[in-house]
Amino acid sequence: MRQSFTEWTKSGAPWVWLNAGAVAICMIMVVGLLSLIAVRGLGHFWPADIVQAEYKENNNSIRMIGERVQVQEVAAEQLRDGGVNVPADVETMDRVLMKIGNRDHGGTDFIWILDDFIEESSKPEMLFAAERREWGNFYGYLRSIKESGNEVAAYDGYEKSADYEALWNEFQNRIERAEMIHDQIKDIEKGKIGSINYELERLRLKERALQLKEVTDTAKYAEIDARRAELNAEYEGLQGELLDLYNAVNRDSITAEIANGKIVEFKVAHIVRAFLPNDMGLGGKTGHYFAKLWEFLSDDPREANTEGGIFPAIYGTVLMVIIMSVMVTPFGVVAAVYLREYAKQGFVTRVIRIAVNNLAGVPSIVYGVFGLGFFVYFLGGHIDDAFFAEAKPAPTFGTPGLLWASITLALLTVPVVIVATEEGLTRIPRAVREGSLALGATKFETLMKIVIPMASPAIMTGVILAIARAAGEVAPLMLVGVVKLAPSLPLDGNYPFLHLDQKFMHLGFHIYDVGFQSPNVEAARPLVYATAFLLVAVIAMLNLSAIQIRNHLREKYKALEM
Amino acid sequence: MTSEAKTHAIDISSMQRDNRVLNLADETIALEVKDLRLSYGDNEALHGIDMHIPKNRVTAFIGPSGCGKSTLLRCFNRMNDLVDDCNITGQIMLDDANIYERSVDIAELRRRVGMVFQKPNPFPKSIYENVAYGLRIQGVTKKRVIDETVEWALKSAALWDEVKDRLHESALGMSGGQQQRLVIARTIAVKPEVLLLDEPASALDPISTLKIEELIHELKKDFTIVIVTHNMQQAARVSDYTAFMYMGDLIEFGVTDTLFTNPEKKQTEDYITGRYG
Repeated sequence: MRQSFTEWTKSGAPWVWLNAGAVAICMIMVVGLLSLIAVRGLGHFWPADIVQAEYKENNNSIRMIGERVQVQEVAAEQLRDGGVNVPADVETMDRVLMKIGNRDHGGTDFIWILDDFIEESSKPEMLFAAERREWGNFYGYLRSIKESGNEVAAYDGYEKSADYEALWNEFQNRIERAEMIHDQIKDIEKGKIGSINYELERLRLKERALQLKEVTDTAKYAEIDARRAELNAEYEGLQGELLDLYNAVNRDSITAEIANGKIVEFKVAHIVRAFLPNDMGLGGKTGHYFAKLWEFLSDDPREANTEGGIFPAIYGTVLMVIIMSVMVTPFGVVAAVYLREYAKQGFVTRVIRIAVNNLAGVPSIVYGVFGLGFFVYFLGGHIDDAFFAEAKPAPTFGTPGLLWASITLALLTVPVVIVATEEGLTRIPRAVREGSLALGATKFETLMKIVIPMASPAIMTGVILAIARAAGEVAPLMLVGVVKLAPSLPLDGNYPFLHLDQKFMHLGFHIYDVGFQSPNVEAARPLVYATAFLLVAVIAMLNLSAIQIRNHLREKYKALEM
Repeated sequence: MTSEAKTHAIDISSMQRDNRVLNLADETIALEVKDLRLSYGDNEALHGIDMHIPKNRVTAFIGPSGCGKSTLLRCFNRMNDLVDDCNITGQIMLDDANIYERSVDIAELRRRVGMVFQKPNPFPKSIYENVAYGLRIQGVTKKRVIDETVEWALKSAALWDEVKDRLHESALGMSGGQQQRLVIARTIAVKPEVLLLDEPASALDPISTLKIEELIHELKKDFTIVIVTHNMQQAARVSDYTAFMYMGDLIEFGVTDTLFTNPEKKQTEDYITGRYG
């Protein structure tokens, strides 16, 4: 036996098993991680059934309406300590997390209840769920629709009927109408009035600049005043329009019966969408699922980021990574070319190389602190002094923003690009360089026309690694430009279109914010998973496109393999 | 390679040459080397070379590995400048001007003295762009001029018929022999005065080698050619003049026929009959 064990060891079989095992563990961990966040995150958008039940505790009976979110086992001992009346022979009990919504009426929208005390559980088809612009979800029975305070339709039973369906359809139509008006309001407020405000601010700065320069030419001031009057008039007009729209949108309201039997009334305008989950077929649920998913991807967040979409965060992340790449690539390449091609190889270059490599290992928060101290306060402060004096005391570039975040991350990732580019430059065969030089090309021409193009796949490898690192970085961004909620996108229709001085939202920070800073933890948790999954997807997408470019370049310059 | 070298050296019947009797004294001189010394650090590789390279002739450098023949060749277009601790004294006169003068523009010199290397080194560009590269470097932008020159160069390099239908395909898809002829076309496209060939056929198969040799024979009408070769039979076949080098010294230089049939120096005879090397 011993003999054969030695032979078994010698044969290398255990070594192979060890290697394969290591790979398998890696795979399981990666796949496990991805599937956990995918299932938890993407499952959130599936419309859950609404349960109605009688909750009986200590001879009291309460009607409950809500979604079952989670089931947990608890020790009976613990419950007895908490004063719950638990039979002596029971050791554990299940408790259920119910999402009961209606935060404006009950105070909380999640509660834990004991499964054993739930009786007469049913799923009435008439129960509806409504997503609202504030106060979270609403669950209840639709009772009537009012237009300008007058009832136009009503229904009073608990069984589905044609009357109820008519009421429901009317309700949907009115939601649609409110939604349309809401879009118009948003368009005016964010788009038109936003542009006017933006231009007014620019006029103010222009005037201030004239004052600072002590220009006395009254014609110039008059010109500004005239334009301002024009804009103000336009603004007044829009205000009137807005008032009408607000009146129109607030025309309709509904009444509904909630779990405790009370009838409550609220405006249709507060509803984003209403649906009957217990009455939906698989097709309806799937449709709802994709509508919710699309909303998540394309809409602005609501309710302290716990509802709605995360489009601004996706946008901010991608834009920042692109600006970062645009800055880091030329910088890293130029530095690497000098180090490898022009600098005399020796002690100094060796020290620089070691320093560059070590720079890649510095904790990112250190870069954040440096970015805040040097870029934001020092550079930004001086830029403000020199170019934006009219805006003072409000800082323009002297405050965290997109530009500084991108530059800080560029600094963080530049070692990666330098190392990869140097690697690429060393691999260009001497023969090709000599061939170019022998034709009368200078060293510069050889570099620009032959060497750097041939090294471009290696440069792209560096950029890919830089993107991978930068897109997932959060800590330094919190210091140099990311915010919880940015009022507008950093790239929009207002001149000069790309606002490098603006603060922006970022998926990584969004995860932290929603997960740990949210007032409504239970509501936020699935969004944390969904956002995390999306962040991974965005990084993967950015990487894949960079890899695509690299493969294209490799194909073009495959001479290296000769 | 002793026995093989012997057969090569004796096989003079295969030489193709003009019937005209050559004489160095009658030739116009293209390049004149005066007491050229070259050292890498403390290590002297060329110990004072003096020689004349005749115009519109093929001059071959032969000698055992490490004798300095490639190093000497690379002095003619100052390729050795790329080596960090390389030190050169002496002169090389091209049109009565020393190419090692400080005022010389090296890029300009390399346009006048072209070079083809041992291994084909086409750029990862199209066939057309490879040949046009030198012209573009010189700032030629007229498409017509470039088109004509590319065609002329490819025809001169006996490559036109093979590639005229795929000028815009990558040069890297060509065979080794075609690549080497492309490199020659690329070099002559800038119309140099001197063409330096550093073992141009050593990485090629026999048929490609033959094509290159024929090409050399054609090209000497227009260019002064200097070729370094390991293969003595090749030197005998293609060259008008041959220089035999040994350990950094020029041992013997003369008309190829004479050098191979009736060498003056004992060392030369030993080498060409394969007694060492």
